[in-house]
Amino acid sequence: MTLQPPQDRDLDLDQLVLEGPGTFRVHTRNYTDPAIFQVEMDRIFGGTWVFVGHESEIPEPGAYKTAYMGVQPVIVTRTDDGTVNVLFNRCRHRASVVCREPKGTANFFRCPYHGWVYANDGRLKGVSYRRGAYEDDWDKPWGLQKPARVETYRGLIFANMREEAPSLVENLGMAREWIDRQFNMSPEGEIELRYDPHVLDYHGNWKFIVENTVDGYHGNFVHESFWKVQEKFGTASGQHGSYVEASVDELIKSRARTFNIGCKEGHGLARQPYPENAVDNLLKGEFADYYRELDDRYGREELLRMLSNTFTMVFPNVAILHSQIRVIRPISVDRTEVTVYPFALKGAPEQLNINRLHGHERFYGPAGFGMPDDVEMFALNQQGLAANSVDWLILERGLTREEPTESGDLTSDHTDETPQRAIHRAWKRLMGSPS
Amino acid sequence: MQSLSRADAEAFLYHEAELIDEWRLEDWLKLFTEDGLYWLPIGDDKEPGENTSIIYDVPVRREERVFRLLETPVPSQAPPSRTIHSVTNVRVQSEPSDSFVTVRSYQTITELRSGDFRQTGLGEQRTFVGHCEHRLRRDPDGLRIALKKLVLLNRDISIRNLTFIA
Repeated sequence: MTLQPPQDRDLDLDQLVLEGPGTFRVHTRNYTDPAIFQVEMDRIFGGTWVFVGHESEIPEPGAYKTAYMGVQPVIVTRTDDGTVNVLFNRCRHRASVVCREPKGTANFFRCPYHGWVYANDGRLKGVSYRRGAYEDDWDKPWGLQKPARVETYRGLIFANMREEAPSLVENLGMAREWIDRQFNMSPEGEIELRYDPHVLDYHGNWKFIVENTVDGYHGNFVHESFWKVQEKFGTASGQHGSYVEASVDELIKSRARTFNIGCKEGHGLARQPYPENAVDNLLKGEFADYYRELDDRYGREELLRMLSNTFTMVFPNVAILHSQIRVIRPISVDRTEVTVYPFALKGAPEQLNINRLHGHERFYGPAGFGMPDDVEMFALNQQGLAANSVDWLILERGLTREEPTESGDLTSDHTDETPQRAIHRAWKRLMGSPS
Repeated sequence: MQSLSRADAEAFLYHEAELIDEWRLEDWLKLFTEDGLYWLPIGDDKEPGENTSIIYDVPVRREERVFRLLETPVPSQAPPSRTIHSVTNVRVQSEPSDSFVTVRSYQTITELRSGDFRQTGLGEQRTFVGHCEHRLRRDPDGLRIALKKLVLLNRDISIRNLTFIA
């Protein structure tokens, strides 16, 4: 009699994400099986647009920063002609990383092991003690390898390992206009990652935080303590999100009018509307000129949408919410790193950016009043998953009341699991497409 | 005014450590001046507040923090952190001003959340260590903290759950 360990069972995607009338369930194994994680790294992080950085991190020619596509290390560089390049951070010789710094300026990368030199566009420029050791024209193919496609949108840099992928803009779908609204809060239409990020890692699967970023159901439970801080102190130590100059009461009411969208590409969106009468406070307050200029340029209706508290989770690894870019890095099936970059609005008053930064610190980071509690949920999830006698996670909330949008997506009440279902549908589609 | 002796500086820092470790956080708040700052930077910033910090607690933020820990349900503190603050290498720095004195120290904070220690995220004894600068105001009734700046060794890498008082 032979032993058949569970990992040897064939991976039937229809048995991992179970859909039917009134049914949407995800299998325990999707969060715990290292074999599934390996396929995810190949087919999701190697199968669609993956965020690798923002152009403001590499403003000048010669600038670089490092990032990851799934578990694969990359370097993102700007060459002298202004082009953004994405290069696998791996020497073509014997596989050492050629760049060990998180960011900097360099026109060349020298491998620390045997001294091979690459230009910042990836071309191999020099091999030490070359003469006689290799054929004369041998080095032509051996530059730093690159993912097939690199595209940017509003400074957000994405790379895709698939040559035949749809364009980034096409893949962004509805998320595009949500990103636009956030970034248009800058008078110059640009954000800048000029502040240090918060970094944290948790013992849990990467999909937890993707789901959590657009989860409108957990707030009253996980963040009860933050609501209590807001009730008692108001905005005394900082504004969280975009309820600037609105009362706590108005904030609570607008939470109830929040809606979400689950996009066909896997993205999740949620919007908490801004209280209309609070705009007058903005137009009379400390930054009146700044808000008036936006009001004139975009009109009141669009300004209200821009002021809304929005959450934009671009599947699989980047989210734009409040005043942050959130980047998700899978490390293993049960380890994930999250980097949260507070961003500045270029051209906005300096004090406004500082206020947003301190509002950000109030909730986010390892000592924030909110994010550590979300992360605690991930530990609880990972613990509960250990009871693998239970097969399914149930993501059926709102299945019977979500409605299609004009864009071909689905929308529902913000507590419904519409965005989470979008994540797993995209997951299933990509996992079913071999590279 | 005489400069602060090392013994007196140590006594003050040990007292602060004791208040924090015993969760006597309202008493800890009273150790600060009315405009006192509690700051855990990430970068090598000279000026607080211009860049992201782990903690940038002006007085009201500090009050919010203590209120949240003592009077609200905090998942990342359920179970709560047990801490021991070890204070070493205390040096008193002379200052031109008579009313302020700067004390430098090393702080080693050992932290543990027990409860069911077999569970994910619990039962892990963690160490946070850093050099600390206390800028103290010499009030008639005792020393008050105008600035507590704690520069953690691991300040720019991943930190999981620093919701206790560091």
